[in-house]
Amino acid sequence: MLEPVMFTGGLYKHDLVVELVEDLGGYILQKNVTQTEIILLILVPSEDKASLEALAKELRGELVRAPLAGTEVAVVTPTLAIHHLPHVACDIAEYLRRHGCKTNMLGLARGVGREIAQIDEYETALINEHDAAVFIFGNFQDCIKKKESLYRNISVPVVITGGPQMEAKDLPYAFAYVPSIGRMAHRSRKATEIGSLDRIVEAVGRALDKTRAAIAKDPLTTSPPRVMDAVREQVPDVEFSYSPLPIALDLNGVRVKLPYKDYKDAVRAVTFDEGVKLGEIATIKPSRMKDYILVRILPASETGFVF
Amino acid sequence: MDPMEVFKIEVTGQEEYGAKKYREIIMDILQDLGLIRSIGRLYVYVDILKPFFAVYGLLRSGIPPLTVKDVGDVLKVQGGYQIKINDEEHMADLFRVLWERYGRERVEQPARDIVIIASDTSPSELVVADLEAEFLQDLTDGLVRVAPEGFRNRRNIMTKDSFLFIAAEESLTPEMVSEIKEKIREMENA
Repeated sequence: MLEPVMFTGGLYKHDLVVELVEDLGGYILQKNVTQTEIILLILVPSEDKASLEALAKELRGELVRAPLAGTEVAVVTPTLAIHHLPHVACDIAEYLRRHGCKTNMLGLARGVGREIAQIDEYETALINEHDAAVFIFGNFQDCIKKKESLYRNISVPVVITGGPQMEAKDLPYAFAYVPSIGRMAHRSRKATEIGSLDRIVEAVGRALDKTRAAIAKDPLTTSPPRVMDAVREQVPDVEFSYSPLPIALDLNGVRVKLPYKDYKDAVRAVTFDEGVKLGEIATIKPSRMKDYILVRILPASETGFVF
Repeated sequence: MDPMEVFKIEVTGQEEYGAKKYREIIMDILQDLGLIRSIGRLYVYVDILKPFFAVYGLLRSGIPPLTVKDVGDVLKVQGGYQIKINDEEHMADLFRVLWERYGRERVEQPARDIVIIASDTSPSELVVADLEAEFLQDLTDGLVRVAPEGFRNRRNIMTKDSFLFIAAEESLTPEMVSEIKEKIREMENA
């Protein structure tokens, strides 16, 4: 079983960490260099975690569990106007990021208002490409209830945040509701506010566990980190992508940040050691996000094997 | 403690949380824009079922216009006047006014904080900026930020010493406006 962890430390000698993870059969999911600091998101076999911990200690780095690593979460606000940003939305997105998940912030075009709020097919499809979504609503109960139409058709679990205390039965289409974090015009710094952020992370974690459990019933033909590794090796152009994370991991596939038109065949032709091509075990389609390539790994029930 | 004399907020329905939170939002935004000291009383009335959002405020005494002698020291020198700038914030406005009054060829700036004018008339009483107009502009901006975002039908009635800002999702009707005015009068007299 692979364990998601986050390594924070100096740039100097960080390649020792990368080498060790590769030797142990783990994966480097993300590498963020900020001047002399580095943050690595790592999947490491749980039985070998101790050796990585020892190395981190030797390098004076820090190794913490990142329960949301390898997932992508959409943080959705009614619009990108000053009313919703920056404080609440950025705080939530940043807090989720610190727990290892990749967040994308999404402002709806016409999500505002009580009666007039709406979402279109493109926005719904884009949110559905993520593993979970967090919708940030305001301070009035009645508005939060009315805005149900925004997320009713979304197939991934949706965590709703808002101000007032509300019953779960009032929001039947939401996976969870986290109160006390409605619209505000200042940063979250009080203990109660940070506590609300913790509850969001916990709710998102539960939502992802539910998806994981559903996937485990009909396992994927191969794991997304393995696809990521193979694509990175066999489509070297991906390293020249300007995105900070050229291959984003989801629970059931990956998003390769290269133009679909030019690279779809190269991605389809990626071959694993077992001789299987990626095109045979996954659907490769254009992503709704820019012109990226979306890879969705087929379950064992469709391909008939797991490797 | 509120820096305002009176700050009342009323929301219809079971929305005590919303009322409490909007109080914080209004304070935060007015503080950010530096407007809070100029507002004496504030009454906020929200009906979330209609829905509309109304703010009525009484302003503290007016702000005098900013003149040249407020931004710097004016000295009589040989061949004209010299202004030693103390407050650079309104530099662009100062030059616009001086150029208009004296013409570009008579205004010189030998150093960053020195302006020399070749003229016999003193510039000290010239109006550089109308701070009251700027304040009202900032206030409107602040109110637009405060109102819930979907409420895009707005009306802003400003007088010399008060303002009434109404925002709603649907078109504003005269009945709605008079209902709001009535309600705010009640809040004032309560």
